[in-house]
Amino acid sequence: MVNKANLFGYLVKHKWRYVRGLFLLILINVLQVLVPKITGQIVDGLETLSLDDRKLLYYGAILILISLMTFVSHFLSRLQVAGASNRFDYEVRNVMFDHMLKLSMKFFHRNRVGELMALATNDLGSLRMITSRGFNLMTNTLILLVSSIFIMVRYVDPRLTLYSFLPLPFLVLVMTKFGPMINRRFRRVQESFSDLTRKTTENITGIRVVKAFVQEDYEKENFAKVNQENFDINMDLVRLQGIFYPLINLISSLSFLIAFVYGGNLIISKQISLGDFIAFNGYLGIIIRPVMSIGMIINFAQRAKASKERIEELLNEEPDIVDTVPDNPGPGQAEDFHGRIEFRNLTFAYDKKGPNVLENINLTIEPGKTLGIIGKVGSGKSTIANLILRLYDPLEEGQLLIDGVDITKTSLKRLRDNIGYIPQDNFLFSSTIRNNIGFMPEEPTLEEIRRAASISQIDESIMELPDQYDTILGERGVNLSGGQKQRVSIARALVRDPKILIMDDCLSAVDTDTERKILNELKPFMEERTCIIIAHRVSSIQDADEIIVLDDGRIIERGSHEELLELNGYYNRIYQRQLLEQEIETA
Amino acid sequence: MDDRGKNQDRVYDRKLVWRMLEFAKPYWHYFVISLLLIFTITGASLARPYLTKVGIDKYINGVVKSTMSVEEARQGIWTLGIMFLVLIIVEFILGYLQRYLLELTGKKIIYNIREKIFNHVQHLPLSFFDKMAAGRVVTRVTNDPETINELFSGVLVGFIRSMVEMIAIIIVMFRLSSRLTMVSFMVLPLIVVATIIFRRTARKVWQRIRTKLAEINAFLAEHIAGMGIIQAFNMQNRKAQEFDKVNKEYFEAHMKSVKVFGIFRPFMDVVETLGMALLLWYGGRSILAGALEFGTLYMFVDYLGRFYWPIRELTEQFNTLQNSIVSAERVFNLLDQEVEPRIEGTIPDYDNMVGEIEFKNVWFAYIDENWVLKDISFKIKPGESAAFVGATGAGKTSIINLLCGFYEHQRGEILIDGVDIRDIGKEKLRRNIGLVLQDVSLFSGDIATNIKLFEPDISREEVVRAAKHVHAHEFISKLYGAYDHEIGEGGTTLSVGQRQLISFARALIRDPKILVMDEATSHVDTETEELIQDALINLMKGRTTIAVAHRLSTIQNADKIILIHKGRIREMGNHQELLSKRGLYYNLYRLQYDPEYKVS
Repeated sequence: MVNKANLFGYLVKHKWRYVRGLFLLILINVLQVLVPKITGQIVDGLETLSLDDRKLLYYGAILILISLMTFVSHFLSRLQVAGASNRFDYEVRNVMFDHMLKLSMKFFHRNRVGELMALATNDLGSLRMITSRGFNLMTNTLILLVSSIFIMVRYVDPRLTLYSFLPLPFLVLVMTKFGPMINRRFRRVQESFSDLTRKTTENITGIRVVKAFVQEDYEKENFAKVNQENFDINMDLVRLQGIFYPLINLISSLSFLIAFVYGGNLIISKQISLGDFIAFNGYLGIIIRPVMSIGMIINFAQRAKASKERIEELLNEEPDIVDTVPDNPGPGQAEDFHGRIEFRNLTFAYDKKGPNVLENINLTIEPGKTLGIIGKVGSGKSTIANLILRLYDPLEEGQLLIDGVDITKTSLKRLRDNIGYIPQDNFLFSSTIRNNIGFMPEEPTLEEIRRAASISQIDESIMELPDQYDTILGERGVNLSGGQKQRVSIARALVRDPKILIMDDCLSAVDTDTERKILNELKPFMEERTCIIIAHRVSSIQDADEIIVLDDGRIIERGSHEELLELNGYYNRIYQRQLLEQEIETA
Repeated sequence: MDDRGKNQDRVYDRKLVWRMLEFAKPYWHYFVISLLLIFTITGASLARPYLTKVGIDKYINGVVKSTMSVEEARQGIWTLGIMFLVLIIVEFILGYLQRYLLELTGKKIIYNIREKIFNHVQHLPLSFFDKMAAGRVVTRVTNDPETINELFSGVLVGFIRSMVEMIAIIIVMFRLSSRLTMVSFMVLPLIVVATIIFRRTARKVWQRIRTKLAEINAFLAEHIAGMGIIQAFNMQNRKAQEFDKVNKEYFEAHMKSVKVFGIFRPFMDVVETLGMALLLWYGGRSILAGALEFGTLYMFVDYLGRFYWPIRELTEQFNTLQNSIVSAERVFNLLDQEVEPRIEGTIPDYDNMVGEIEFKNVWFAYIDENWVLKDISFKIKPGESAAFVGATGAGKTSIINLLCGFYEHQRGEILIDGVDIRDIGKEKLRRNIGLVLQDVSLFSGDIATNIKLFEPDISREEVVRAAKHVHAHEFISKLYGAYDHEIGEGGTTLSVGQRQLISFARALIRDPKILVMDEATSHVDTETEELIQDALINLMKGRTTIAVAHRLSTIQNADKIILIHKGRIREMGNHQELLSKRGLYYNLYRLQYDPEYKVS
């Protein structure tokens, strides 16, 4: 078992692939180094006219044989090295996602979706780069440099080698200096492009305002500014990038120039042969690319190092909501889940330094009873749902008990398996309707799914779709209306046959008529279960056994619908207003 | 049948390409200079192997064969060396110039296309935006111009360069030795075919990798955003399995590419070596027979290596061409959309608007004859207010849309101060209307900019005065930087109520004669609600107001309440009149004061 946060461990698993790949790479390079040597021999043979037809044919055959062998070993080495690195990539991505599944909501509040996604794609991609192309480049560079230089010095001429190599360090310098500079400017180009996209998006989505306030001409001017800026930043990149390749070409050509002039003089003074000279040029050609890759490898490595650190930071993140008891019910827990919920002097804040979202909440919901929660946006209603689901743990004072046991001491799986949760935003996944409703560890049968869908008044609409329950939702599929989404989301909670049902403002997107129908259908279902209904509309909660009015994290009014109306306070006020407004809407 | 369709496509493509060339037309001389530079550079780089050949054949072999003195040869080599140096420096300078010039031209073209599209979009009617998703319009402005430009800076120049390079090499080779040239090109068909097949396969493989990567991205985006739901429903294990599936497909796509590239690229090397071996063998025999100079053979080897590059590039350019044609088609499609009619009015100086509004038997449909408004007639005197009440989809918002000239009504007349709004012209009409929308669009920028928008004549004092008038000043001055406070992307830092107050200020600052308001339905907290109601009273003072109303206070205080049902006016009158009618409005009203009262 490898240490989860140590990425190197995942690579070591594939060490034999790398060893095999290394052998093949050495073989390829040896073969490659042979080629100039053979051409050199041919040249000398031709020069001294010591070759004959048969010998010439023989050399040609060797060249082809070498290239065939290179071909095979090339293919096999790719399979080994790229295979290892792609497996590494695949495994680490799985590990990352599995780890994210364990992290609590707090983590996801701290980290942006886009950044987490970048970890699993871009950062992992730069690791894949260094473990495959980087590995190949490094090996090739090392072998080619060492062997070519050895041959050049040993068999051709050390001084010629030395002089011709003089420009090469500049090549490395240019690569390492220019690479990051180009990257930086390129990033600015990308940023400026997203500015452009943002400006355009704002304009298009706000086109009504633009037109209504006759802002078209100003918008054109503003766009011209962003457009010009984008142009300028692009040209900044062009100015730098445009010089890059000509410069590299210049430097490597200088090497050839030196080889030509100095080498030519050496031939003339008979210190080397023409064949040596041709072979030398061949080696120089072979060596230029590895020298350039030294710069590339350095850039790769820097990026990979940063990526590795970022990924390891994610994997080192400790999940903070975990089971403190084994999954099977312990002695303190009854076999049956009853669904009694009790808040005892509970005060809660999402952040230790942040403001309290709930203050001194005392609340008991007996099994089978229904609690209604009403209050302004931000009054803490959804937080109550989040706490019962244990998406957050209470940090401050107070306790939350489920069936008399502290919530942190019940098994997470057992708790959540017994809760049916209908979230505020009706989050659905772009999968089939069947998968969206049958959203539980053990997939329910289609019959069970349809039963839940009929209670939430959506079965009929689904059966009217061409693919019925196999209809795919989301961007590449069917888009349901807000009300339909809510009903699917309700069915998703019902199909689990939970002991506790939490409805977080889930009926706001359906009209009052449908709301009534759904609540009527739900009634028998709710009677056997502990229910919490969080709502904006009084009509959703007026039948609850108890209603609490939350304001700024405190319970300011509590009682039954009738009791609250008599109080003639906040609850009564919103009731009256909503009644009228709804009637106007449906007139 | 099919063939004819293809032919038509080709003619169509050609037309498109001609139309695309219009964008490049202002810069044609840049392209010519760029091409001239390319030719010079190509010439310079082709001269290099020639120098080597001269060095070997004339000087080195001259010494070897003792036809030349060592000193002379040395001198010659040095001269060649200096020419070599001049060549590479020229190559460097011209290479940079050429790249710079070409890119500069390309970016200018992109700039122009973008500007053209954006400016055109500004004048498209709202009905266009109903049909087309915002994201797609944005892509037309941002991405498509870059793809179109590829035709100029990538394909056009690249194509000519590749062709010139290839032809130049062929000519030089033929002039040196036609036999050797034939031998060198024996493997050429094999290379061309292999390259084309490889490009095609490679493109498919890359496409698959990109698709799978996009799937991984979509999966992660969705599941990280829905992590709470996954955990609340104990779906971690099933989701991990689902991810494994997507991830594995991505892995497999990569492995496929490893195989494709692993076979094709080394294969090309084999073919190239084969060509080289042929050349060496044949050339070697010629040298042995004394029919060929060694330097010539050496040069051939060099040229042959250079010949493979343009071939590779040509196949690449063909794909690019196709992509830019697709983009161009989309862009032209958008540019061909008709702009809003009647921006300018027919009445030259219609300035002193009083604000009397009259609808006379107005019929309106968004599509065909699906009437949304049927025979709507009403009249609102200057300074009066009208509240439209009715169910969602009854047609309330459509009335606002028509009054602002966002859509064209099919029958009847809409008159302001007795003048048809079509004669007033959209610009003038809208300058006199203050519009407050349900969904407040905020732009990135500071608060002041969001109130005055980009009107340069509005001073800071006026902004503050307007904000104070609608009670927005209080919360704005509490923000960091007050009126200079930057609003983030989409303006998420402000609450719904605060956004509404800003939109009030935005309308008020222009001191419009007519106020048009689509009241927000979303509930805000009580304190803000009171502020909003108070601000509304200030806002409506002295203006003709038309409101799609949800708030009871707005409705009760309106001079005219108009109840709309299924596109028709059902009841009209002020609060008292409607109550005495004992109709629908009466029912609604009684509900509040009589808990026992049930709507019959």
